[in-house]
Amino acid sequence: MNDLRQGFHRDVEEIRSQIGRLGALIVEMIPRVTDILLDQDLEGAEYVLLGDDEIDARAVDIEERALRLLALQAPVAGDLRQIASALKISSEMERSADLCCNVCKAARRIYGHELDPKLRGIIQKLSTQATREYREALDAYVNLDAVHAAALDDIDSYLDDLHRLFIQQILESHSNGSIDLQVAVQLALVGRFYERLGDHAVNLGQKVRYIVTGWLPEQEALARFRAREEAESARGAAEQE
Amino acid sequence: MIILWTILGILLGCVVGVWWQRHRGNSLTDEPTPVTAADETTDELFEQAMNAMGIGIAIASAEGEIVFRNSIAGGPTGVLHSDVLVDEAIEVHLRGALDGQVRRQTIELFGPPRRVVSVSAVPLADGGAVATIEDVTERSRLDAVRTDFVANISHELKTPVGALSVLAEALADEDQPEVVQRLADKMVHEAIRAGRTIDDLLELSRIELGGEAVKDVVVASTVVDDSVTRAQSLAERKDIEVVVLATNDRVRMLGDRRQLVSALGNLVENAVKYSDAGSRVEVSASSNGQWVDLTVRDFGLGIPQKDLDRIFERFYRVDRARSRETGGTGLGLAIVRHVATNHGGDVMVASVEGEGSTFTLRVPAAPGLVSTVVSDAS
Repeated sequence: MNDLRQGFHRDVEEIRSQIGRLGALIVEMIPRVTDILLDQDLEGAEYVLLGDDEIDARAVDIEERALRLLALQAPVAGDLRQIASALKISSEMERSADLCCNVCKAARRIYGHELDPKLRGIIQKLSTQATREYREALDAYVNLDAVHAAALDDIDSYLDDLHRLFIQQILESHSNGSIDLQVAVQLALVGRFYERLGDHAVNLGQKVRYIVTGWLPEQEALARFRAREEAESARGAAEQE
Repeated sequence: MIILWTILGILLGCVVGVWWQRHRGNSLTDEPTPVTAADETTDELFEQAMNAMGIGIAIASAEGEIVFRNSIAGGPTGVLHSDVLVDEAIEVHLRGALDGQVRRQTIELFGPPRRVVSVSAVPLADGGAVATIEDVTERSRLDAVRTDFVANISHELKTPVGALSVLAEALADEDQPEVVQRLADKMVHEAIRAGRTIDDLLELSRIELGGEAVKDVVVASTVVDDSVTRAQSLAERKDIEVVVLATNDRVRMLGDRRQLVSALGNLVENAVKYSDAGSRVEVSASSNGQWVDLTVRDFGLGIPQKDLDRIFERFYRVDRARSRETGGTGLGLAIVRHVATNHGGDVMVASVEGEGSTFTLRVPAAPGLVSTVVSDAS
């Protein structure tokens, strides 16, 4: 029995280490695609886009491992949360890698158009902040650190501010004629990609909190919903009387 | 360099070989040899020796399990997500080596800090494999510097010379006076440009040669004033205001006045060059008793993050296409760095694209109550 459990725990650890590796790839990818965008590096873009298949394969592999454990081992409590989260985190990370690929595609679409330094400066800041958040989230996951994970939501508000600033700058650069409409639209999308990467980091943080404490953000909404329902049924009962 | 690595390689081979023999011996004999206190001490010594090698080492058993890793292989970069990626590469290469493939992989990691790590693994004679992990960041940086330097210097020197010869050929066949005048003007322009590059190269080698370090007491505000004067005419042409922020005569430093003016002058000129018309450049000098900081701040183009640690190289250009517009020889910042090094100081830069740059030249302060003789510009 003990041996069986040992095998099981090794499998759970293996899933965790695979997720750690996938996450590390994404933390590396964010600054890489930013360089590609700022240097208009078509070769680099191609390379990243080709590499996306590998990331998809890794995400699928994690999911399969998790499903197998669920089916064969019937895990409970912390182990169950660990494995259920792996299912969600892998798709979260797969999505993040897609966002990085989207930045590369945008780099291709604006190829040949020069960006003014103000825009470039904010893109660099967006990237640095998104990378920092993802890195924090991944560190929190690897170390199972719920305290760091809980801070991510607030850390992310800086990225949201940068995103707003970026949109303003796009409008300004467009109105003074330094970029045309097509480029402006692509850049607005790029800004959104970075902002979404930050959101994925926040989600990852929430999963870490869930694994460690069982807390889910949805639980708060659920509690509010239940309270409202109870209040309504109480009111209904009072009216009937 | 190669010899050094070969020696290191042989050394590593010996250490790993001996370690491997001992461990294999222990596990394969029918009767395990009892572990004595002396064995444990040598084990510890081996581990310490491995940790002192300066490169990461990981050893896998014939079954593919990693049975030993030294401290560097345990955390080669000190950054969690980078280490995770290197770790995966180690595993892949060890597995490859056990299957008889020997490959070397160079992994570029964005960090921060940026690192370049080289991982390779070789099979051991009696089964098992050993992987080595080297941090080659500095080596690959130097490689890039070397190749870029050759490309850039030929660009900077050949362009004006090429232009001169083409212009001279055109001039020889021309008899219309106004065209002759225009071609001659262009030739003068190109000749001045080539002359400036050569002047800067000479200045740079003069500073590099150094000789006896001059250690005069120099009043910072006079260096600031002279540097600002150097950039004044360019600033007026571009309508840029060069502001000297409160410096006081008590800020004094130890050094060579001529070199300091040359360095700070280069920084102020750059600031003016890369600012938009109508903006301002701030120059200040401050001291904390030990160091004097000469700071030049502009609100201009700024420098892309990835170029920040390369701009002090000779002839390095952030944007080569634009280098002819802004003039300059590509040597200014190299001169600044050499002056800083000659003085035992440093030069630092902080910059955000689109917001501007701040350069700080840090040189030793003159001791508080030393005589206040101001060295002369002569």
